[in-house]
Amino acid sequence: MISERLMDILIDSFWNILLPGLTMTIPLTFISFAIAMVIAVAVALVQFAGIKVLKEIARFYVWVIRGTPLLVQLFVVFYGLPNIGILIDPFPAAVIVFSINEGAYSAETIRAALEAVPKGQMEAGECVGMTYLQIIRRIVLPQALRIAFPPLSNSLIAMVKDTSLAANITVTEMFMATQRIVARTYEPLALYIEVGLIYLLFCTVLARLQRIGEKRMGVYGR
Amino acid sequence: MVDNLLSVKGLSKSFGSGKILDSINLDVGKGDVIAIIGPSGAGKTTLLRCISFLERADAGYMAFADKEYSLHDAPRKDILDFRRKTGFVFQNYNLFLNRTAIGNITEGLIIARKMPKAEAEAKGMELLRKVGLEDKAGSYPSELSGGQQQRIAIARAMASDPLMIFFDEPTSALDPELTGEVLSVMRQLADDGMTMLVVTHELGFAENVSDRVIFMENGIVVEDAPSGKFFSEPEKERTKEFLATFIER
Repeated sequence: MISERLMDILIDSFWNILLPGLTMTIPLTFISFAIAMVIAVAVALVQFAGIKVLKEIARFYVWVIRGTPLLVQLFVVFYGLPNIGILIDPFPAAVIVFSINEGAYSAETIRAALEAVPKGQMEAGECVGMTYLQIIRRIVLPQALRIAFPPLSNSLIAMVKDTSLAANITVTEMFMATQRIVARTYEPLALYIEVGLIYLLFCTVLARLQRIGEKRMGVYGR
Repeated sequence: MVDNLLSVKGLSKSFGSGKILDSINLDVGKGDVIAIIGPSGAGKTTLLRCISFLERADAGYMAFADKEYSLHDAPRKDILDFRRKTGFVFQNYNLFLNRTAIGNITEGLIIARKMPKAEAEAKGMELLRKVGLEDKAGSYPSELSGGQQQRIAIARAMASDPLMIFFDEPTSALDPELTGEVLSVMRQLADDGMTMLVVTHELGFAENVSDRVIFMENGIVVEDAPSGKFFSEPEKERTKEFLATFIER
C-alpha cells in the first residue's frame, strides 16, 4: 500500500523533522518551562502569603493570561509589539510567551499545592522558632512542590505539543519543518502522522521520566 | 506566689459572637506541672494557643521569664523571642513530613538557632535516646506509629532547652496502648523538673503527675487547686459533677 516513493519520503524526512525537534522544540520547551517555574513559584507564594499589592497584581496576571488564547499572545508579542518599536526574534519571542503563559497556569497549580500542605506544618515551624520565610523555604514549599509534581509534569507534556504553535511566528520547530516538506512532496497524511508520532515519542519519554521522578520523591511516603 | 515563670492576665478571646475565653488569669511557677482539664469547648486549647501566639487574643498580657508580652498585638520580634524559649506539643504531632525523626529535632536548632550541624545532631540523638527512639533516627513520620511520632514531637520541643513546654491534648489522637508510652515520657520530663502546661483528658496524668489542676468550662477557670486536693475535696459543685462523670465510666 505504501509506495516506494512514499517510503523514501518518510525515511528522508524523518531526520529532517527530528532534528528541529531536538534543536528547537525540546530547547524551547525546557527553557520556557524552567522560566515558567520561577514565575509560578513567585506568583503562587505572593498569593499564599497574602502580600497586599503584589497579590492583586498576581491575580490580574493569572486572569489575563488564562483568559486569552496562547496563539493570540504569540501574535501580540511577535507581530504586534513591532508596532511600538519592540522587535523580538522568533525564538526569544516564543520563549517569552510560553514562559509567561505556562507561569500563570502553574502558579495556580502550585498555589493549590501550598494550600494542601497541612496547616500544622506551618505552626510546628513557628513553634520551633523559625521565621515565616524559613518555614516556607524548608518545610512548606518542598512539600507543596511534591504535591504539585504530577500536575506540573502534565503541563510540561502539554507544552511540548503547544510549541507547535510557534510555527505561526516563524520558529522553525518540528511542525514547521514538516509543513515545508509537505509543500514540496504533497504527502500531508503520511507526513503529519509522522510528526505526530515523533511528538508521541517525546511525550512518552517525558511520561517515563515523570514516573521515575514520582518514585524517587516517594521516599518520605504518605 | 514568688517568682512566677509565666503569669497571664486578663486573657480574652472571641470567635464571632461566641466568647471562648473570658478574662483568664493564670500563674505558673518554675518547675510546675499543671494540667488543664474540662469538657470539650471549654476553651482549654484556645488558651494554650493564645499564650503561644498561635492565635491572637482580643485582650490580655503576660509576663514570661521577666519579660512582658502583649497577647493582643505583640510584635513579631517578641513572638519569635518567646518561641525560642518555649516548646509546643500538638495533638496531632505535626512532625515535619519532609524530615526524618532526627531532622525534625535538628531543624529548629540548625535553622532558627544557627547551631552547627554536628552539634545539633549529637543533641538530637541524645534526645531520641531519652524518648527511647534512637533506632528510628532515619525514619520519616509516615513510617512511625502515632505514639512514636508524638515522642519525637516531645523531643523536638525539648531540643531548644526551653524554659517551659506546652502540651495540647498530647494523647487524644492515640489509642490507649500508645497513650501509655507518651505519658511515661511526659512523666519523666516532669520528674526532671520541666515546667509544663498540659491540656489533657487523662485524669490519671492530672492526678498522679501534675502538681496542680485547673478545671475550665465556658471560657472561665472554675477551679484551680493542687491536684491532691482537687481530686479528694473539690470546692465547686461543677467540679464534683465533672469528676463524677469520669468515675461512673
